[in-house]
Amino acid sequence: MEKLSAKSDHIYLGEAIVKKALAVMIQHNLVKFQASERNNNVAEYTMIHHNVYCLIRYPKYLYMIKRIYGTSEEILLEILLNLGQASASNVIFHSANRLNEANDSEVLSPSALHQSFQRLAQDNFIIRCPKLAENATLLKVPTLEIEEKEKFAVPNVEIEPIARMLKEKATQLGGHCDSEIIWRVNHERFDIELRNVILVNAAARRVDTTAGELYHLILKLWRESSNPDSPVTTPVSYNVIKDAVRKNDSSPILLEHFDHYLRVLYEDSAGLIDRAGDAGGGQFNLDYSKVFENLACASLDSIVLERFGSKALRLFRLTRIQKFMEQDQMQNVAMIPAKEAKMFTYKLLEHNFLQIKELKKGTSNFAPVKSFILYHVELPQVVRTTLEASYKGLFNAMVRQMHDLTENQRLLEKHAMLESMLERLKGDGVPDEEIAELSDTMPPAEKSLVEKIHLMSDNLTLGQTQADETILILESYLKFKSKEL
Amino acid sequence: MGGRGRGRGNAVSFNIEQLGFGRGEAGPVSVTQPPPLFPSLENRPLPLIKDVENEYILVTQKDLSTRMRNSPFYLKKSEKINSTSYEKELPVLWNRMPAELRDETFTKRLATGKSKVTLNAKKKKVEDPDKIFAKLEKKERNESEVEEDGDGKEDEDDQDKSDDEKVENEDDVEEDLDEEMDDHTDYANNYFENGEAYLEDEEGQDDGEAQF
Repeated sequence: MEKLSAKSDHIYLGEAIVKKALAVMIQHNLVKFQASERNNNVAEYTMIHHNVYCLIRYPKYLYMIKRIYGTSEEILLEILLNLGQASASNVIFHSANRLNEANDSEVLSPSALHQSFQRLAQDNFIIRCPKLAENATLLKVPTLEIEEKEKFAVPNVEIEPIARMLKEKATQLGGHCDSEIIWRVNHERFDIELRNVILVNAAARRVDTTAGELYHLILKLWRESSNPDSPVTTPVSYNVIKDAVRKNDSSPILLEHFDHYLRVLYEDSAGLIDRAGDAGGGQFNLDYSKVFENLACASLDSIVLERFGSKALRLFRLTRIQKFMEQDQMQNVAMIPAKEAKMFTYKLLEHNFLQIKELKKGTSNFAPVKSFILYHVELPQVVRTTLEASYKGLFNAMVRQMHDLTENQRLLEKHAMLESMLERLKGDGVPDEEIAELSDTMPPAEKSLVEKIHLMSDNLTLGQTQADETILILESYLKFKSKEL
Repeated sequence: MGGRGRGRGNAVSFNIEQLGFGRGEAGPVSVTQPPPLFPSLENRPLPLIKDVENEYILVTQKDLSTRMRNSPFYLKKSEKINSTSYEKELPVLWNRMPAELRDETFTKRLATGKSKVTLNAKKKKVEDPDKIFAKLEKKERNESEVEEDGDGKEDEDDQDKSDDEKVENEDDVEEDLDEEMDDHTDYANNYFENGEAYLEDEEGQDDGEAQF
């Protein structure tokens, strides 16, 4: 937590820029402030680490919303992400503008967008920001507060002023009735959703897509009945699940074989569903820590496999499952020749995938002391090391991408300008020879270089996204592990 | 790793065989320099997954970052430091921000008398920022504000997260300079101190620290 004066002292950019930067970050939910305890007129600023990290997940959020709802909700969310915090009318106004730009006819009326907004709020994907307390305008550091029940309540939005502004092609919505009610993206809800996507994909991979569908439904039931902070969901009975499957428009295969799918899922060792009791035809719940432990182990396994090979993987899995093993035991049970086993064991040890525990076995006082060396896998530690490595990989990819783009910025800008000119001319109906001549102003060598840069930048973005998935699994494991203790 | 026997001290506590190579064979190669900074990859990593979702993510990411860069939120360093009222330019919800962030030329401010309030002792070995502020404030502008001791605790562990700020390209230099300032002191400013802060210092000393 730092005071503004302390910050400006340290930064040689000048105080105005510091103020602007802080304001922008607060607006985008990256920094929060509160009045300092000792002096109410000064604010202390804290960074919200998680939200800063989630910046990289914004495209994933949009994809999920698009899949769950549709385009208008997607646009609403995108506008909200761009603005940081905004009132409902503002978001609706800008979204309508954006949609009109995309298609030239006015497809969606503001009231339809308002309904989409309400849908997003109902499912808690957007949340209201705390509002100014009554005497806040008098204080130098405003206090913001909000009650639990108001968090997702959508106010009445006056549609006519918005529609009018749209017709006038205004760029800004002026004052409006709900300008004091501000919304922002609810990161926690999106985290839950991302985690559910991982679980559903796991179910689909393990069994098949219909099982994935079933699992998705059951997850929804659990979410509605459980406390989001608890590591174990409340049990849901068989009859409730059956009802939900019938009510939902599931595929006919699911309806027919619903019994079998459920059975397969809860007997599976991955722990996607646990049978908790027999009341109501069977009670089923989900133990997050167990499921994520299995997922984290699976991730670690594939990491070991890709880096060291399948023999090392055998040793790793063996040690993990058997808890403590001696070197001889390992090479016998894994059926790997001694020298190779020792080499792989050492490699795994070197990279901190295995840990050593020494036990002394002193029998008599005359003989030299024998000690047993046991290998084991301490899962939280290994997960933490891998997590650090993933962060580093993510960071490297971002730095490299930034470096590439800034180095070739001039070239990329020139290419972009050329492309836009060509587009415009084509639209105007200029003959082909002129277009070809214009595009020849940029030599093919440069064009292929631009291609290469774009390709590399794309690959780096993909790499970042996939590193982020691993990070999510590992972080969730650590989070649920600490909760269970 | 010598032997530790009592009595006949020739036995060693491990068998040569246990190390994995017999007598006569060469031992493992000894390491003579630190490992290379970029070790060669033994196995090629798996190819990146390119499916519908990732295609969408690629396009959206580019779209989002271009929009952010072109938006008024993207602060460029080349702007004049003392540009006039920026409240109108930045589409930030100003009435929810602390007053100190807002632009003075735009909002009416009561000119409070200049006062230095020392609240508590300096807990770190930083030279008294109070005096520096007084001088800087006097130099930069004529209005006055309530000055405080910079007794904030710093945000740590931003190495992981600060890279994400590059997307919006804001103060990424911030964290580095923060740590620098702790060690550097402004001797020049400190040297000719006016005696005003002298007595204030004593009042706010840490309890429990022995005074010598």
